[in-house]
Amino acid sequence: MALLELKHVSRSFPHAKGNLPVIEDLSFTVEEGEFVAIVGPSGCGKSTMLRIVNGLMAPTSGQVLYQGRQVDGINLECALVFQSFALMPWLSVKANVELGLEARGLAPAEREKRAGIYIDKVGLDGFEEAYPRELSGGMKQRVGLARALAVEPRLLLMDEPFSALDALTAITLREELLDIWQSADMPVDNIIMVTHIIEEAVELADRILVLSSGPGRLVADLKVELARPRDRRKEGFNALTDKVFSLIEERG
Amino acid sequence: MATQQTAAKRATSVLISLLIVAMVLALFFAYRRSGGLLHLHRPRLHVSARRLPYYAICSLARMTAAYALALIFSLVYGMLAAKGRAWERVMIPAIDIAQSVPVVGFFPAAIYFFVALAHGSRIGVEMAAVFLIFTSQAWNMALGVFESVRTLPNDSLEALDAFGATGWLRLKRLLLPACVPKLIYNSILSWVSGWYYLIACEIITVGPAHYQLPGLGSYLMTAADKGRTGELIAGLLALLAIIVLMDGIIWQPLSEWAEKFRYEFAASSEPMRSLGLFDALGSVGPTVLRTFRALMRPIVRAVHRALASTPPFEPARHPALQRASRLMRIGLAAAAFFLITLGIVNGTVALIRTLLQPWPAAVRQIPLATGASMLRMIAAYAISLAWTIPCAIAASESQRFARRLAPIAEIVGSMPATALFPLIVLFVIRVTGGMNLASILLILTGMQWYVLFNLLAGISQIPADLKEAARSFGLSRMATWRKLTLPAILPSLLTGSITAWGGGWNALILSEYFVYRGATYKVFGLGAMLDDATYQSGNGLMILLTLLSMVLVVVLLNRLVWRRLYDVATDRYRIDY
Repeated sequence: MALLELKHVSRSFPHAKGNLPVIEDLSFTVEEGEFVAIVGPSGCGKSTMLRIVNGLMAPTSGQVLYQGRQVDGINLECALVFQSFALMPWLSVKANVELGLEARGLAPAEREKRAGIYIDKVGLDGFEEAYPRELSGGMKQRVGLARALAVEPRLLLMDEPFSALDALTAITLREELLDIWQSADMPVDNIIMVTHIIEEAVELADRILVLSSGPGRLVADLKVELARPRDRRKEGFNALTDKVFSLIEERG
Repeated sequence: MATQQTAAKRATSVLISLLIVAMVLALFFAYRRSGGLLHLHRPRLHVSARRLPYYAICSLARMTAAYALALIFSLVYGMLAAKGRAWERVMIPAIDIAQSVPVVGFFPAAIYFFVALAHGSRIGVEMAAVFLIFTSQAWNMALGVFESVRTLPNDSLEALDAFGATGWLRLKRLLLPACVPKLIYNSILSWVSGWYYLIACEIITVGPAHYQLPGLGSYLMTAADKGRTGELIAGLLALLAIIVLMDGIIWQPLSEWAEKFRYEFAASSEPMRSLGLFDALGSVGPTVLRTFRALMRPIVRAVHRALASTPPFEPARHPALQRASRLMRIGLAAAAFFLITLGIVNGTVALIRTLLQPWPAAVRQIPLATGASMLRMIAAYAISLAWTIPCAIAASESQRFARRLAPIAEIVGSMPATALFPLIVLFVIRVTGGMNLASILLILTGMQWYVLFNLLAGISQIPADLKEAARSFGLSRMATWRKLTLPAILPSLLTGSITAWGGGWNALILSEYFVYRGATYKVFGLGAMLDDATYQSGNGLMILLTLLSMVLVVVLLNRLVWRRLYDVATDRYRIDY
């Protein structure tokens, strides 16, 4: 059984002049253990799609199946990482990471232990008591990542996670994300990442879904067969990047 | 070291505040001479629905005049205060004081001042009324302008500098547009509080003098006083019609227009809006605006053409003119200095003379009365919090509720509770047998809306991604309140509380002492003591001492409690990640 299946999902928003369709008839499946990247021009409904998968938003029509069951309300086996980090400015790093654990009813001692582990994993050891405004952008997104990982989700959803960071920080964080995904002691097996940076998709993902804009439709579903670790200087990397580019240019 | 510095800073700001208050007090007491009022011609007020349109127009004109003054004042004052640190250090505490000092208490003094200024004509009373409404409208608008200019991103200022845009161009293209959103939002609030005080200033009783200005406020008060329920309801309906119409024709289109000038990029917040009640009227608004603009355009063009056709003026070529202008400036400064000094000297002499009078025994009761009033204020504040916080939380959970609540609150808040005072007082006295609860309820009417409006503004500023994060991680309702909603609205809650206490002190003066059909209802408290001295005994010393102790309590409370809490809140709970 597929981990996730979208069947003819559409979503529109009420607008001054009637309804504005953002996603139209989107269908795809995600298999167990896959890293899927979704690329497309701005306004193609990528982020909306991610929110529908998480259950933050209901589709206007169509179905979302998670392990064969229809998603109805927030799917607590998912965790979302935001482009804007979305950290509570009045909570310390530790309290931010514990947010999802508290919601899942863990005892305080257990919460603290788990938060400590994941703060460690993202390399923020020693910053437990700091507040988000005292951290750099890269460090804030590490907190965002730790907060998502701490709930030990089966499916990690990432909404343009590295777009608000400078290029060098983004490179480091991408590598660390891959390490986390590949390491055996991490519970996260599946990642869906929305991005507009094509190189990022080619570098990280097993599969790339290309969406067209206004309204978002599926244009292409590409398997990335390049060996890891990938590098833009290696053969095939640029060819694939160009291919995705031209797909978006033609259909966007 | 740092704490010592902030302590010193706090001490200076307290000192500056007290100095400003002392100056204002001195100025007012310099002109506290009664008598003029008694000889004024008093128009008779007719409680009949047929005269209602006339009264409505009178009140509206008064409100408009006060608002126009407040608008000009707030732009000049706010921009000056944002000009530099030194300006800010004096001007912002001054606003703080003005906002929380019970202006109603100074009203009699203001009437004497303006009547004297107008040589005893009715214009003086009108001026005093406009002045009182002005004081209920100006401060929050000025603070809005100040905040807008102060928080302007540095790069947009630099961009203008880089293009060499200075003076008028800078004002027109950057400073004024930057003020628009906050100015319009605060204008709506200012009109709400303006209506509230309209009642208090259209009926004027000072010592033996009793005076009514023709207007909705006097009409409502007289109708209530005479028990004419039908006319009272007609008057309230007229007021309601004005408020709703103004909202549809003016504030709604203006709020939509203001959206263009918003600086932030956060995709979340609901636009700062006005009523959505009468969408049909929404289309009337832009039409009116367009017609107005079309009418104005030829005038503006003509002025432009005239300006363009006159040769550029170069002051360097006219040394005589330059000299004249320099002389004029020096003359003006000297005149202003002379007038202010005269006022202060005059006032100080009057003050000292007042203080040298024999002190009545009632003075010893002032501390106790202050305590009693404080307790009433705390009770009213607690009631305000008890209903506004749940409302704000509900508004944060449901956009629909928020959209409904805001316009209703705007209308109900504008309905002058002051006009309904007789009904409330009589009802409560009949039920509880005492005036205490009535007094607390009356204070409440002057407090609660400030808290509510500020909370609603705070709620609308919670970023959408934080709300999403809370939902996405499965936070329960309680957890969302604790981790997101309550911390996020804390700064707004404190801003609202500071203004609410300001409004509360004003309401206190109106609500501890009440005359209805010749009978006086009062409780033991500072407000009642002040009223007693103003309206009954006319004892200047008692007026001075009660006012002084009220101001002292306000300033100390502000500086030592509210400011500190506010600093902590904005330091830790601001949303700026």
